[in-house]
This record gives sequence, C-alpha cells and structure tokens, in this order.
Amino acid sequence: MVSLKEQKVTPAVIDACRRGDREAFRVLYEAHKDKVYSMALYFFRGDAATAADVTQDVFLKLMDKVGQFRGQSDFSTWLHRFAANACVDRTRRRWWRMTTVDPVGLDQRPSASSHEEDYLKAETARSIQEAIAELTPKIRVAIVLRYFSDLSYEEMAAALNCSEGTVASRLSRGHQVLARRLRRASMSALGEKP
Amino acid sequence: MSGRHVIGRLAAFADGQLDAADTRRVDAHLATCGPCRTAFEDHRFAAALLRDLKPAQAPSGVWASIDAARSVATTRGASSSTRAWRLAYPAVAVVLFTALALWLSAPRSQPWDVVRVDAGDQRLAAGAWVDTTAGDTARLRIGEIGTVEVAPGSRMRLVSARPDEHRLSLAHGRISAEIVAPPRIFFVETPASTVVDLGCAYTMEVDQDGVGLLRVTGGWAALEWGERESLVPAGASAPTRPEVGPGTPAFDDASDRLRQALLDFDFGASGRASLDVILAEARDRDTLTLWHLMWRVDVGERAHVFDRIAALTPLPAGVERDKALALEPDTMRRWRDELAWTW
Repeated sequence: MVSLKEQKVTPAVIDACRRGDREAFRVLYEAHKDKVYSMALYFFRGDAATAADVTQDVFLKLMDKVGQFRGQSDFSTWLHRFAANACVDRTRRRWWRMTTVDPVGLDQRPSASSHEEDYLKAETARSIQEAIAELTPKIRVAIVLRYFSDLSYEEMAAALNCSEGTVASRLSRGHQVLARRLRRASMSALGEKP
Repeated sequence: MSGRHVIGRLAAFADGQLDAADTRRVDAHLATCGPCRTAFEDHRFAAALLRDLKPAQAPSGVWASIDAARSVATTRGASSSTRAWRLAYPAVAVVLFTALALWLSAPRSQPWDVVRVDAGDQRLAAGAWVDTTAGDTARLRIGEIGTVEVAPGSRMRLVSARPDEHRLSLAHGRISAEIVAPPRIFFVETPASTVVDLGCAYTMEVDQDGVGLLRVTGGWAALEWGERESLVPAGASAPTRPEVGPGTPAFDDASDRLRQALLDFDFGASGRASLDVILAEARDRDTLTLWHLMWRVDVGERAHVFDRIAALTPLPAGVERDKALALEPDTMRRWRDELAWTW
C-alpha cells in the first residue's frame, strides 16, 4: 500500500481538495509539509515552534483558497507564495522570535555518541542556519525558496512577486554574504583570525 | 577585463538560467576579472554547503492542529442547515444521536490523547489525577505536540485533551514541559496563574502554599491571571503568588539586587524604593522587566520607567512618549516588538 507521503498530488487530488475532501488535503499536506517547514525553520534560525506555526498558517490558507488554483504549476507557485509571505509577515511580529532556540530543530541535535561525520554535518547546518538568519528578510526568503522548493526562477519570481532578474540578484547577493560569513565562522572555529 | 561586472548575475549563471549569449558574456568576463572570479568562488562555496542541507521533518502535531481548525470551521459553516434538517426528521436525528453517543462512549485512542508513558502508555481521562511519590517521576506524552515530566512529590490533574487544547492543572510540585506546537494549544493552570505555551520548553513549580515559579528554557511562555499577564522568554523566569497572580519577569542573569528588588516590588510594600534599585540595576536586556513595569507602577512613576528604557535602548520610530505613558496599545506593541530583539 502506498503511504500518504508517497502519493502524488495529481490534478484529481487538487480537484478533490476543491470539494473539501479531507483525505485529499492530507495527501497534499504530506507531499509538501517538510519543504514548507524546512523553509520556515531555516528562515527563523531553527525556531521549531514558529516553523510549526507558519506551516499551519500556510496550509490553512491553502485550504481556504484551493478553489482558486488553476493547475499543478499554479498550485506549486501559490503554495510557495503563501510560505514566503507567511515567513516575511511573521518577521513583523518578531517578538515571537526565540532567543535561545536550538538550531537545526529540536530533534536533530547530534548526540554525544553520534558519529563524528554526523556531528560535523549538524555543526555545519547550525552555522548555515545562523548565517541565513542574519540576511535581510527579502534575501533570506529567496535563499530558502531556492534550496527548499523545486521552483524555477520564473516560479520563484511569481511566488515573490518580483522579476526574475530581482530573484537572481537577491540570490547572488545572498550567496556572497553567506560565503563570507561561513568562511569567517570556519576560520574562527580553527582559531585563526578572520 | 571584458565588459561590466557580473556579480549580480552569478546565481543565474551558476543555475543555468541565462541564455547562451549571456552565458558566454559572463564566462568571458570571469576569465579576465579577478573580483568577479572571487565572487563566483564565494558563490560556489555557499551553494555547495546549502545544497547539502537536508529538509527537516514537520512535527506530526501540525496536522492535528490544522485538522482541528478545519473541523471547527466546517462545523460552524454547517450549523444552520443541520438545524433545519433535524427539525424535519426528528426520528432520524434521535437514531443518529444515539449512535453518536455510543460511538463517543466507546474507548479508543486518539492522536490528541494524553498518555502516561511510564505506566505502559496508559491513556489519561479528563479529570484524572497524577500523583508522584518522593522517588517517583511520571512522564506524559501530550498528544502529538510534546511531553511533560512530573517531578517527585507532585500532584497534577488532566483537565482536558482536545485537538485544539490540552490543559493540565498543577496543584503542587514541579513539571517540565517541552511543546512543539502553535501558540495557545497547551495550558497549565496553577493556584495563582495559568501558564500559556507560546511554543516553548519550561519548568513550572508550585509549593504547598500555592507560591510558584515559571522558568523558561526555550521559546516563550505567558503567565495569565485575570487582566494581568507576564511574557517570559527563554532565559527568564517569573514568580507567582496566590491572590496576586504573576510577578514581573526577569532574566535569570540579572543582578541579585534587581531580582530581590523586583520581588519586593511585586509582593512587598516597598514600591518606590524597590523601583529605584530596579531602574539603577537594569541592563539593555532588562528592558523585558521594565516594559512590564510600565503597567505595574503608579501613574506618577511611569515616566521614570519610560525614561530608563529610552536611555538603555533608543526609541523606535512610531513610539512617542505621550502615547507610551498612556499605554496606548499599538504603541506598546510596536515598542515591545523592537525591544524584544534584546530579550
């Protein structure tokens, strides 16, 4: 039997969502929840509670608006537009921001007995999360969309309501800033001066 | 060097988003321009790290929250037509209600159930008490949203367990909660406050006289009691007292003098003297304490608190002295949002 997560979001599933079919919504949710959650988790410096909250908001809004979807590509763009807007909107209510959150999510902390490679990966992810969190919201949302969605530049531009050139420029700027911060972080970890 | 710098186009170049002519132009420029080549190396370095990131798994409690919110909306939307239908077919309604009652009375496990993990996943019914002896710790799983550990010598009751609300009541003792869920789904009632989870980890302890202390270790929690509310971020704590409710929150690394003066201010009789100590001892992040005190000091002393916060952290745009002194809600919210960067 195919699990909910493995089921494809076909036009028939979206049609069923339009009719209010709970199971169809569940298929849609299972197919996209981790991407939306990951976007929010990296956007909010590993704040798992805010990421869960954003994920809930995105899918509730999606269910409310599902009747307006016109097709598969349209659906994907809509979903990520909701996710991007939810992240940026939430920064305006930033008192929710956690000050001592556990980066990379509560369940992904490397244990003392973890293999060294796993530990290093988790540490790298932690550094990346910190670096992403320092970007401006517009650049940050472009970066998380690029790496946690399957959208093309054209679709990212539609989701972010800007031109493809603007997407490219924000991504270029984001990579440049991240590279500098991550290089500095790795040099500090080695005890060298930045 | 060939043509204009291409730093702004490096992402599109690396992701194959440029047409053939533009790709050739960027390629040619990179061959001759050192700064752009360095920027491209930076781009590749960051992209390689980012590509390696693995998506995180959304907590299972999120679907339960969505489902619950949707069920509530559906029920509200259907209520008027259902009412007409029942009037037309009373006999059928009786049968349906009977069947529903039987279905509801049948024991079955639900994703929002509270179970006692240390007692073989025993499901707790609403109203059930959990008592721990001196050497005994109880561990509860709160539906799909988190866990609660009940320390030795504690007495606690499950008030409700529903898709949209989990509510416990702590008579005395200590609990440690770790909740990953949207805000305002998990509540703990105590004799002098209700702890409202805003997505957090915390410990709450209450002694036999009802005197309590909330200590937050991750995220945010709120203490509510009538009109009185204390917002407590990670690294801070707030006491509670019967007949008074929640005290003012303070960071655990605040000075001893500040913390003692705050206790005297909240629950003693030395108002102005304590306030002077608090204002003198406050650091940047102690604006958490001062922001709460804006509501709690006498009107005549509010200006002193305002001035001290403004001296520690510049006033943000849109926050005016007169409106803040009048506790105008939008002004206070905007001010809190800015101050919270240091909390």
